[in-house]
Amino acid sequence: MAGRPTAPDRMRRVLAVVPWIVANPGRKVSEVAERFGLTEQELLDDLNVVFMVGLPPYSPDALVDVQIDADGGVSISLADFFSRPLRLTPSQGLALLASSDGLLSMPGTDPEGALARALDKLGKVVGVGPDDALDIHLGHAEATMLDTLRGAATRGTEVAILYYSYGRDERTSRTIVPWRVFADGGSWYVHGWCNLAGGERVFRIDRIESLEVLDTFSDHRPPEDYESVVFQPRADDPTVTIELEPEASWIVDAYPVTVLEITDGDPSLVRMVVTEKPWLERLLVRLGPAAEVVDATGLESATSLAAEAASRILARYRRS
Amino acid sequence: MNKLERLLNLTAVLLDTPRPLTAEELRERVEGYPPPGTAFHRAFERDKDDLRVLGIPLRVERAPGTSPPVDGYRIDPDEYYLADPGLEADELAALHLASLTVRMDGLGEQEALWKLGGLVDTGALVVDQTVASLPTDPALVPIFQAIVDRRQVGFVYRGAHRTVDPWRLDYHRGRWYLTGYDHLRADERNFRLDRIEGAVEVAEAPVTRPEPNRRPADGPAPAWELGDDQPTTARVRVDADQVANARRQLGDSVTETIEPDGSVVFDVPVVNFEAFRTFLFGFLHRAELLEPPQWRAEVISWLEAIEAIDGG
Repeated sequence: MAGRPTAPDRMRRVLAVVPWIVANPGRKVSEVAERFGLTEQELLDDLNVVFMVGLPPYSPDALVDVQIDADGGVSISLADFFSRPLRLTPSQGLALLASSDGLLSMPGTDPEGALARALDKLGKVVGVGPDDALDIHLGHAEATMLDTLRGAATRGTEVAILYYSYGRDERTSRTIVPWRVFADGGSWYVHGWCNLAGGERVFRIDRIESLEVLDTFSDHRPPEDYESVVFQPRADDPTVTIELEPEASWIVDAYPVTVLEITDGDPSLVRMVVTEKPWLERLLVRLGPAAEVVDATGLESATSLAAEAASRILARYRRS
Repeated sequence: MNKLERLLNLTAVLLDTPRPLTAEELRERVEGYPPPGTAFHRAFERDKDDLRVLGIPLRVERAPGTSPPVDGYRIDPDEYYLADPGLEADELAALHLASLTVRMDGLGEQEALWKLGGLVDTGALVVDQTVASLPTDPALVPIFQAIVDRRQVGFVYRGAHRTVDPWRLDYHRGRWYLTGYDHLRADERNFRLDRIEGAVEVAEAPVTRPEPNRRPADGPAPAWELGDDQPTTARVRVDADQVANARRQLGDSVTETIEPDGSVVFDVPVVNFEAFRTFLFGFLHRAELLEPPQWRAEVISWLEAIEAIDGG
């Protein structure tokens, strides 16, 4: 938390820490601080305020009693009103249930382990059945493939993959060094070093067609503080400008585009970054006659791309 | 006198009192308030807001014996305290691990873990980095609250005001969906949360159409299974090198015929032709719609129209 915590921020902490100390008397200040992610000084500052809390007439027997013994063990008594924590707010219940359900949905997670039991108990407290209110799918992937890639990331071993690139519409054999496995936008990805590209790359795991762990280690370790981003446009990436009829305006919801013009409430002219032609080809065929590329920078013959793709597909239909 | 101390004392007094206390009574009992007048009222209003932000269920009731009626305040202990879920240490650690690896930032996960007993060391469980960050949406919390309370919600979607019995929130393909009974359309519907226009109102009315006793095994169906077109079987041939990709998108329940050249003919049940066409064109010239003839004709004229525009 940046800056000085506000009174409500500290109150959140106190209303959770005090009941725990009441229920677990004699634990060390250091242990309590660590358990709640606080510094010892923050904890002691909070306890100093709790000392002053009580009920009218605020005589010593009506004030919370905080004791820290010679060994640093802390106990709290006369705090009946704060002997149990405040219930979870709906947003807190939602966040914990969603995180847990999401992790459980990860291929390879034990469906009857501690997390599943915790989710069940938490659901009862929040008031929903474990499978009733929420369903989180992070993405489809084979458990063995996720496990293998995560294992390789932990050990720093190289992995040989056969990869289908949707953007370029081609298959390549590569040797990669997995750094991190993550899910985004409904798919699983692996971020790491790619020897073929000679740089960092992100691969969609469901497009890895085969994989083999090698017994070679790599010096290409992740930088100290790196971020895994699925698609990061660069300033010099090609862009296309597309004219849209209203039927094709769904593109605005589906892809990162800049709307240049709006006609009668619908986006009629948009610009988007495109790195690979086959990707754009498929988008244009899907958009159909309701879209037309009117301008392109850095991408050759983009204006005739859709027509060429349509002809290629038509050739197949005319053959049979 | 510090503000934290005053808020804690105020909460203690409100929890302890069996009857609603007026603002004036609270001023007398809780240390640290300014003398009666504007300054006190401002401070008291701010404190009430703070308690609400913290999720403390402050009740406002008529103070007994007041005429004309005066607002009285108290906290019902049954509404305040967390029921003990009885979590074992390994279960609490698992929740901590889940909150670190599948993040939902901004909803107060850390505080939730504090309340449940702290950020227990995940020990032998390896905490690698975050595996996913789920997006939040302003509609999420009110809809979740309504699901828990079994109450209806109202919102504007595609320009029409809907009253919906909310059944379930799904996170699928990177987006949040609400599944429920739409009273406007008198049927079950999926709604994309990011397309809800404006705020979600949680109604007083209880749901009248609870979820029937069935649920899809794997989240919302593919887009071509959601629609109002006449149910039709689309027969599509996919080239050998795209079969794995097609299977992944079509799922396991689709009938397939493997041809000698390694290509596969899939029979796909479709009630939304537009969505199916989008799926089909993902394969470019490596797939071909064989049947029904009228859809095949539509695909051909669609492609011819593209040729005509760009080629002309």
